Amino acid sequence: MDAEALLDEAVREAGDRIRAALAMRFRDLDMAEDAFGFAALRAVETWRRDGAPRDPAAWLYAVARRRAFDLGRRAQVRERAVHDAPEPIPDPETILMAAFEPIPDERLRLIFICCHPALAPEARIALTLRTLCGLSVERIARAWLTTEVAMTQRLTRAKRKIRDAAIRFEIPEPDQWPERLEAVLATLEIAYAQAYEDAAGVSDAADLARESLRLSGLLAELLPDEPEVLGLAAMIRLAESRRPARLDDLGAMTPLSEQDVGLWDAGLIRDAAGLLRRAADLRRSGPYQLMAAIHATHAARRETGATAWGDVVTLYDILLAVRPSAVAEVNRAVALAEAEGAEAGFQALAAIDAPARLAEWLPYQAARAGLCAKAGRQAEAADALRRALALHPAPAERLFLQRRLADLGKTA
Amino acid sequence: MQYLLLIYDNDAETDPAALQEIVAAHMRLGAELAETGARVGGNRLRPADTATTVRTEGGVKSLHDGPYAETREQLGGYYLIEAADLDAAIGWAKKIPGGPNYSIEVRPIWPLS
Repeated sequence: MDAEALLDEAVREAGDRIRAALAMRFRDLDMAEDAFGFAALRAVETWRRDGAPRDPAAWLYAVARRRAFDLGRRAQVRERAVHDAPEPIPDPETILMAAFEPIPDERLRLIFICCHPALAPEARIALTLRTLCGLSVERIARAWLTTEVAMTQRLTRAKRKIRDAAIRFEIPEPDQWPERLEAVLATLEIAYAQAYEDAAGVSDAADLARESLRLSGLLAELLPDEPEVLGLAAMIRLAESRRPARLDDLGAMTPLSEQDVGLWDAGLIRDAAGLLRRAADLRRSGPYQLMAAIHATHAARRETGATAWGDVVTLYDILLAVRPSAVAEVNRAVALAEAEGAEAGFQALAAIDAPARLAEWLPYQAARAGLCAKAGRQAEAADALRRALALHPAPAERLFLQRRLADLGKTA
Repeated sequence: MQYLLLIYDNDAETDPAALQEIVAAHMRLGAELAETGARVGGNRLRPADTATTVRTEGGVKSLHDGPYAETREQLGGYYLIEAADLDAAIGWAKKIPGGPNYSIEVRPIWPLS
């Protein structure tokens, strides 16, 4: 294997662990990032010249650690304004000789720091994807429709706050645990929502979806006794299992009820079922388990050929009781239409509060269009479709909505 | 590490009987802070309409009758505390009593080296 491929593999397998270990050891996210970048750069040239090390991950960690020590020493020297001769950067070969220490697993602590509730939600996501997953600033900026400069500023501000407000590099105390864990779960949920939104997701959202699967899986592995953590991991797996079925041959979005269940990823569905079983054994329900259960009810169509819409409505009722949201209300109305008829669904949708805000929300207009069409209210359906199309849908959804509008024209 | 906990509230919102209970709760919190060695300082402030703001614009100083910013919630008091980290400071901030609506801003002190 050549040096670059070896580096890619080592970063893929142990990058998060190395980054987390460096951040915790030096209590400095910037220094960890710089040191890791330095080690990766040195790796390619050294490995090409001298051959592959026995343990590439341990090599990277050792070189990065040494680099961070030097960066720290130089910063101290600068602060004391003593002008020593600059330290030569140690030759990586000498570091090879130094004792390798096993890379400690500090990923959980790093997740808790990056997702601290005192940081703005968008900063938490960016920090997690940058610091733990090693995604480039440019990539993160693109996902959240902002510029690289703005994203760099956001990250810098977050890191400065961690340092200056003294966010502790520790696992939260028991009395703060629920709030801190909730912040972590919400961060991963929003990050995944971004990946899910793009139905195409073959290239651009694919890496975000992959990181969401990985992060939620990692969290489930690190916190196996937290049922909501297992619930979130299950939810992401179930939603992601449908990705291959979400677009038709022409690139239009295929709604859940019309998807070819044969295309769903059976492996992910099986993983999710296992996670949900373990969560249920812990006997502490919560919104993430409920949302996963709703997804699981849909996934069961793969086996049974039919959706238990009554169960879906019941689950939404429970979810709304523990975590009210307009999203859940809209989805409940759609499920109700399937369970009890279009008119019931239409009435439930019309009864949702805050219609002014909902009117500008694409999923609401799309759901309204579907329910109106089913209830025989063609003119209202067409109005909802036109409103939805005006709300900048993604290309796949635009195609779908345009097709529905054309179908309405035929029946009218 | 020291933090300033700034209390922003709306005096007009709180009825006198409730206020008495809130003051008593502040006394209890003050005692708890002192007991654990977390208390550095703290005070209740007179209402914002007693404030004078000395403003400097373009190097020229002028006086204004009133607080720095005219908002519904005003700075009503503060605690200066010693805490190990932000979580500990937030823990204290959550214990600060008040009426139905109020905010506590947690600000780390920038030490004069």
